[in-house]
Amino acid sequence: MVVRTRRTMLAAAAAVLLAGGAARAAEEPITVGATVPTTGPLSLTGKLYFNTLTMAAEDINKAGGIKGRPVRLAIEDAGASNSTAVSAFVKLVQETKPPFAFLTSYSTQNLAVAPEVAKAAIPVMYAGGADAVAENGNSWMFRIRPTDSLAARAMVRFMTTQLKATKPGILYIQNDFGQGGAGVAARRLEEAGIKVVASEAYGQNDKDFSAQLLRLRSAGADVVLVFCYPADGALLLRQAKALGLKMPVVASSAAFVPAAMQLLSPADLDNVWGVVDAFVDPGAGGRMKDFADRYKAKFGTDADAYGLAYYDGAMLMAEGMRQVGTEPKALRDWLAGVKGWEGIGHAYTFDGKGNGVGDVAVVKAKPGTKALEAVTSVKLD
Amino acid sequence: MADLIQLLTNGLALGSVYALAAIGFVIVYSATGVVNFAAGQFVMLGTFAGVATLVNAGWPLPVGYAGALALMALFGLLFYAVVYLPLSKSPVVTIIIGTVAIGITLQNAALLTFGSWPFRLVSPVEGMMLEVAGAVIPLHAVAVVVATALLIGLLWLLLNRTALGIAMRAVAQDARTARLMGLRVNALLAFTWVLAALLAGIAGLMLGPMWFADVNMGDPIALKAFAATIIGGFGSLPGAIAGGLFVGLAEVLGASYVSSAYKDLIAFGAMILFLLVRPQGVFGERIQDRG
Repeated sequence: MVVRTRRTMLAAAAAVLLAGGAARAAEEPITVGATVPTTGPLSLTGKLYFNTLTMAAEDINKAGGIKGRPVRLAIEDAGASNSTAVSAFVKLVQETKPPFAFLTSYSTQNLAVAPEVAKAAIPVMYAGGADAVAENGNSWMFRIRPTDSLAARAMVRFMTTQLKATKPGILYIQNDFGQGGAGVAARRLEEAGIKVVASEAYGQNDKDFSAQLLRLRSAGADVVLVFCYPADGALLLRQAKALGLKMPVVASSAAFVPAAMQLLSPADLDNVWGVVDAFVDPGAGGRMKDFADRYKAKFGTDADAYGLAYYDGAMLMAEGMRQVGTEPKALRDWLAGVKGWEGIGHAYTFDGKGNGVGDVAVVKAKPGTKALEAVTSVKLD
Repeated sequence: MADLIQLLTNGLALGSVYALAAIGFVIVYSATGVVNFAAGQFVMLGTFAGVATLVNAGWPLPVGYAGALALMALFGLLFYAVVYLPLSKSPVVTIIIGTVAIGITLQNAALLTFGSWPFRLVSPVEGMMLEVAGAVIPLHAVAVVVATALLIGLLWLLLNRTALGIAMRAVAQDARTARLMGLRVNALLAFTWVLAALLAGIAGLMLGPMWFADVNMGDPIALKAFAATIIGGFGSLPGAIAGGLFVGLAEVLGASYVSSAYKDLIAFGAMILFLLVRPQGVFGERIQDRG
């Protein structure tokens, strides 16, 4: 009897301990990694998704987390170089062993980190636009923004069908993004039988674009397609107006993020169109308005397409974890099968290369203001 | 022709800013033997001193400019007292590495203080244009060239026609002898750093409306100013001016008439050529001249 009582008590104690352990496991946070440029020149864009990833983690946790387990973000600074981005990712993997991670929105960094992602064997989402990132057969990588070629093709389509331009010039930042986008645009135009009258490049640190802009003008360009980053995009739009360039400009997404828009005057945006990843329009109502309003209340600035991509990505990741748990391979397989998942910015469908977005928006400032309005949406296969 | 005038003006304005930054290099190098690798960040701080007084504090233009320059003078003095003076007995290479470290610190301190978003600094002649032979030239660009020419003139007067300037040159030539002659070497060195910070501050304030105020703007300026100093000749004020103008014009004219993709090759190619063929630059002193 004594023995039985003792055994019963031991069993009860073990059960309590196990139950406690299980409860603790259930409450244990799920660490999600993120490499974000928080210092250096890329931090201008990095800050945008630093904010929305933080916001998404809070929203996921407010909604009960992942089956009761809260999500904890482990963020490492990816800096402004490939080597820093690689080190940041390796450190994240070694120290926190996350089941999932976010990479930066810079293609060169994404390309550099890709081999480490394959070694770590965890699914990641990234927002670099270069097509090359998805061409290396790394099945762990999922893109949550339009590819650069998609944006370039949309620019060409808009330029030819809406603006009816026939003598395009191209101005691009000299890196993987700019060269890639300019190359695709030039090829598409050539296929359409349209000759590019001038193609001009500028360095990432350049501040004077007068030579390039004047060459485009003297070549007789009747439209300029611009592939730029935020601050240089704003600067070249201002310089184009200061130099008296009259032709329409169709610029890529980065020129229209709030950090760039606050540098421009309404006159700088006259005759300027933007081909943007997604149009963050609170006027659209519903989830878009809720997201935009809460972002502005929390961070004091307008939300943007880059941040929205990561917010959607985080929500998609949470959905996957709720469906199949946190085992990396199961999560990857689930993501690879996502079709038409309704985010706020897009309906996400991942193709065989991990590209999840197939549409972009064309926007323009309302006359005499800096308020953007949607012109059209371009969906391409 | 109109395009050429426009390009020349832009190139000269850009070159003027590089020249001022290069003069900052030269003044410090001549007086202390130190190559200040934080020079680009000095210019960045000048721009952000303007952001602090004109944008954040909302002071009127004259007060804002004066306030920004006062901040830069204070910064120059602090740099001398906190960075240069404690390291002054160390080998020159230690001080140079110190300036690199301080440059990185300054950049990240600016990032923490002002954030990553660029600012727009308004020019006193904002939006005003000049039409010359069909070319539309921003008045600010012309003002930059004129202001730089004036500053260089004043600097020449200071260094050649005042007791203070002559004392500074004496310290630059031989600090030990200058001390034996009763000159207050430490005070003169401190003034050198203040002067370098002030010149950088003026360059930064002039750059703000041309570019945007961006915490990362210091590195490209430092690179171009360094190239200008090598081409013009380390230790030479006329060299810094000529080098700065050459780099600015090469950048703009090279992009227009050679290739926008390879325009930096011209300035940096020239720098490498000078290092190989004439390391003392166009106006620079030969090493044995110093001795």
